[in-house]
Amino acid sequence: MGHGKYVIPSIASVSPIVVQAGEVLNLEFVVLPGESKDITVFVELAGPGAEAHLKGLYLCNGDEQVHFRILMHHRAPGCHSTQLFNGIAGGRAQVHFDGTIVVAPDAQQTQAYQENHNIVLTDTAKVETKPQLEIYADDVKCSHGATVGQLNENELFYMRSRGIPEKEAKTLQMLSFLSPVIPEGREEEILLSLHHVLE
Amino acid sequence: MLQINNLHARIGDKEILKGIDLHIGPGEVHAVMGPNGAGKSTLAAVLTGKPGYEVTEGSILFQGKDLLAMAPEERAWAGLFLSFQYPIEIPGVTITAFMKAAVNAKRKAQGLPEMKAGDFLKLMKEKMAFVQMKPEFAKREVNVGFSGGEKKRNEIFQMALLDPMLSILDETDSGLDVDALKIVADGVNALRSPEKSAIIVTHYQKLLEYVQPDHVHVLKDGRIVKNGGRELIDIIENQGFDQF
Repeated sequence: MGHGKYVIPSIASVSPIVVQAGEVLNLEFVVLPGESKDITVFVELAGPGAEAHLKGLYLCNGDEQVHFRILMHHRAPGCHSTQLFNGIAGGRAQVHFDGTIVVAPDAQQTQAYQENHNIVLTDTAKVETKPQLEIYADDVKCSHGATVGQLNENELFYMRSRGIPEKEAKTLQMLSFLSPVIPEGREEEILLSLHHVLE
Repeated sequence: MLQINNLHARIGDKEILKGIDLHIGPGEVHAVMGPNGAGKSTLAAVLTGKPGYEVTEGSILFQGKDLLAMAPEERAWAGLFLSFQYPIEIPGVTITAFMKAAVNAKRKAQGLPEMKAGDFLKLMKEKMAFVQMKPEFAKREVNVGFSGGEKKRNEIFQMALLDPMLSILDETDSGLDVDALKIVADGVNALRSPEKSAIIVTHYQKLLEYVQPDHVHVLKDGRIVKNGGRELIDIIENQGFDQF
C-alpha cells in the first residue's frame, strides 16, 4: 500500500456520484428474489469532509445472479465513507461482490470502511466477494472485511428445542443477520421474501 | 411419563449408549450421575432430538407417544424441556422475541390463537422475577455476553415460562457459585408438582443437596450400572464412581 501508481479502476467509465465538501450521501440498496441485478456504483468524495454511507441487502434464489461493483473514491482529505452489504443466497443463485476503496495521494485523514457478509443456504448457491483497498495516502483509517458462512446449526437446534419450528428458527436467524441493512419500514416485505427464499 | 427401553445410540461409528433402561413416573425427580464420558450428555441430546446422534436400537415413549419419531420442536410442544449444559448465544435475537416465538409456536400447534402482547409481557416479567433476572434482560440478545450464572438462570427462566411436563437439567450446576446455585435450585423446586417430572444429569452432588431426587441412577460407560435412592449420593461422594 502506498506503492505503485495511482490509477482509478476501470469501473470509472460509469459517471460518478460526486459528493462535495461537507455533503453527506446516503444510499440504500435492496435486491429481493425474483430478478437478477447488476449494480454499479461509483462515488467520488470530492471535497474536504464529504461523507458517503452505503447499505445493501440482497436475497436471491433460483438461478438469479446478483452482481455489485462498488468504487468508493476518496479524492479529498478528511472524508468518511462506510459500506455494509449483507446478503443471503439460496437455490443456485450466484452473487458477486466487487468493492474497491481508492484513497488518493492527497486524501489524508480519510476514514473508509467496507464490510460484506454472506450466508449461503444451499450447496449449489455461490458467493464470490472481492473487497479491495488501494491507498496512496499515509494518514488514513481504512478497513474491509468479507465473510461467507451458513446458518448456525447450534442456534437452530437451541431454538427448535424451545418449540420454534425449523423454518421459523431459520427466518429469525436470517432476519437478525440482515437487520443492520434493512431500510426503515421495509421489515414486513423482507420477512415475506425470507419465507420465499426458504421454500 | 417417560419410558426408555434398551436405548442404544451412537455418534458416527462410536457407540455411546449401550442399552439404557429408565422409567420415570409423574411427579418424580430422577438424578442421573456418572463420571465424565459416561454418556450423560448423549442421553440428554437423544431425548431432545439433537441432530448428529443415531439411535440404533431401543425405544423411548413420552406420555405414551414415540418420542424418537418427533422433531425437536414437536418434543417441546409435548412438554419436554432441556436446560443446556452450554446455553447457545443467538446474536440479534432478543430474549423477548425468542420466548414469544416459542410460546406462540406451541399455542399454534395446539390450535390456540397467539398470546396477546400485554399478557405475554406480564408473564415474562413474572417468570424473570421468579429466577431473579433483572428486567433489562428482556431486551438483551439471547445469552450474548452473559456470565455463566446468567446463562444458567436464563435456562431456568425459559423452563418456568414454557412450563414443561418433563425437564432435563444437563449439568445445570456446573460453573455456578452458591448463590446462583440456590436460585436455580429454588426455581426447580418451585416447579415440582404431582404431575411434573425432572431428570437431573450431573457428575457431582452439588445441586442434589438443594433439589432432592426420588431416584438416583449411576451411568457408566453407556449403561446404568446402579439404581437406588438418595443414599447413593453419599456413597458416590465418599467413594467415587470406581466402585460401580
